[in-house]
Amino acid sequence: MPRLSPTKTRWFFDSKGRNRGVRRDQAETDRPLIELRDVSLKFINYADKTFTIKRAFLQLLLRRQKPVPDSEFWALRNINLRIQRGERIGILGPNGAGKSTLLRLLARIYPPTTGEVSVQGTVAPLIEMGAGFNIELTGHDNILLNGAMLGFTRKQMLAKVDEIHEFTGLREFADLPLKYYSSGMYARLGFGVATSIDPEILLVDESLGVGDATFRKKATQRIRDLMGRSHAVILVSHEMSSLRELCDRGVWIRDGEIVADGPIDQVVRDYEAWTKLAQSA
Amino acid sequence: MDAHNETTAAVLDGFPASPARRPAGWLRRVSGDRAELIRYWPVVQNMVAQELRVRYQRSFMGFLWTLINPLLMMTILSLVFSNLFPTRDNYSLFILSGMVPWGLLSGTVVESTNCILGNEPLIKKIYVPKLIFPLVRALLNLVTTTLALGALFVLLIPLGARPTWPMLLLPVAMGLLFCFALGLALFVATANTFFRDCGHLVAVFMQAWYFATPIIYGVSDFPEAIQWRFWLNPAFYYIEIFHNILCDGQWPGMSLVATAAALAFVSLGIGYATFKSNEDKMVFRL
Repeated sequence: MPRLSPTKTRWFFDSKGRNRGVRRDQAETDRPLIELRDVSLKFINYADKTFTIKRAFLQLLLRRQKPVPDSEFWALRNINLRIQRGERIGILGPNGAGKSTLLRLLARIYPPTTGEVSVQGTVAPLIEMGAGFNIELTGHDNILLNGAMLGFTRKQMLAKVDEIHEFTGLREFADLPLKYYSSGMYARLGFGVATSIDPEILLVDESLGVGDATFRKKATQRIRDLMGRSHAVILVSHEMSSLRELCDRGVWIRDGEIVADGPIDQVVRDYEAWTKLAQSA
Repeated sequence: MDAHNETTAAVLDGFPASPARRPAGWLRRVSGDRAELIRYWPVVQNMVAQELRVRYQRSFMGFLWTLINPLLMMTILSLVFSNLFPTRDNYSLFILSGMVPWGLLSGTVVESTNCILGNEPLIKKIYVPKLIFPLVRALLNLVTTTLALGALFVLLIPLGARPTWPMLLLPVAMGLLFCFALGLALFVATANTFFRDCGHLVAVFMQAWYFATPIIYGVSDFPEAIQWRFWLNPAFYYIEIFHNILCDGQWPGMSLVATAAALAFVSLGIGYATFKSNEDKMVFRL
């Protein structure tokens, strides 16, 4: 079990606000883009998430214990990871190993329970399509809103709108509120916006099954382009062939712990051997 | 099987010692949040602008509704109270100058109760500083209140509303009330994330607070001996400033403004501290 350090969780996130006087490329060359230091993440499965004052009061008054105690679950344990510029990292592991949680941690959605996470630079999370869309707004407005959430100003996004429409083929629906979009259109727009920016760190979660076959082909190509443009890529996938092709370093996670970390071919080979062993057993 | 365990260990050993960093004190947090808010300011702008647009696009008369509601309320109260207390002159202006700022306070606080829970899909999918959700609610209310105040004042010109010099102080008064409301909003948003029934309590509490504050009645309606009791009410100072400026056309007293500023600072401080110390836990509670 990871020890619970008494210190509070600390985030170091050098976004554009800090280090303004220093030139970015000078300041950051010697530091890794991403550094996870002894990071653990604990989920507490609250017996009831809808805890109320009334219940708190009753519990206090009647000195009653909770009917179902909250259970703990360590999703990540003692993760140490440094990612330098130019690295393409593939994360593999069985379902429920903590791969997606790790991505979410890097995207700052989850704060670490213990340890330190330091991420330098802009992050493009391709974790969930259409995150942050407002269905009441039109496609055009959503592009601007989503772009703002990814750290781009209105002006920068307006310059990209045309290209996004070109890619998604949704130009004629740009003035339609998102609630009238089909789910495929919704996903396509989300994908288009998320991949239109030039991030320093790209987080990609496997199941990016968006749209029909033609679009999927376009999407795959676009992700590869994006991977070429960004400084670091972290890809979570179950498809060993694409991992082998796209990544140069593999990280195998099992039960929230890093089992292996090394050249992708070696890690994939070991992982496949292990899965075969596990299946036959 | 675990062929690469050594590699992990080696990587671990290669880690340089954690660089000495200043402790995460409150000053650091504030400056960090400042940087984040600057970075995410376009998001705030977008959310406010688009919420306003959605709100007014979809309703038939749009912005008029924000005016009609206080206007009707004002008419009713004027009719009732000018019959009850015929001595008071210009009662509608008095009501307006108390009720519209109260709208800012109560609107911000009541709407903020649900702002974290209501944005659950967003919080779970993409990172945005959670601070912006209460901030957006407060800014929205600030915008509508300012518009309503201006428009209603123009409507009341036939009834004796006149622009005066002390109105130059209105932005200050609005700013102070905004900070006070934002502090409460932060507190309430945190509380409601962990205790889901806070929203109901807050609504009732705000209603009670409304009647405890001299808005539909004046302080002078009470005997002098018990007037000091209003000093215990933090909202009293803000409403009194607005009464002075809008209704009486006087410069509010220095001590009044100073007290309001101090209260705004305290409220913002408590709200911010509560919010920040629980911010990390929120996502797990959604």
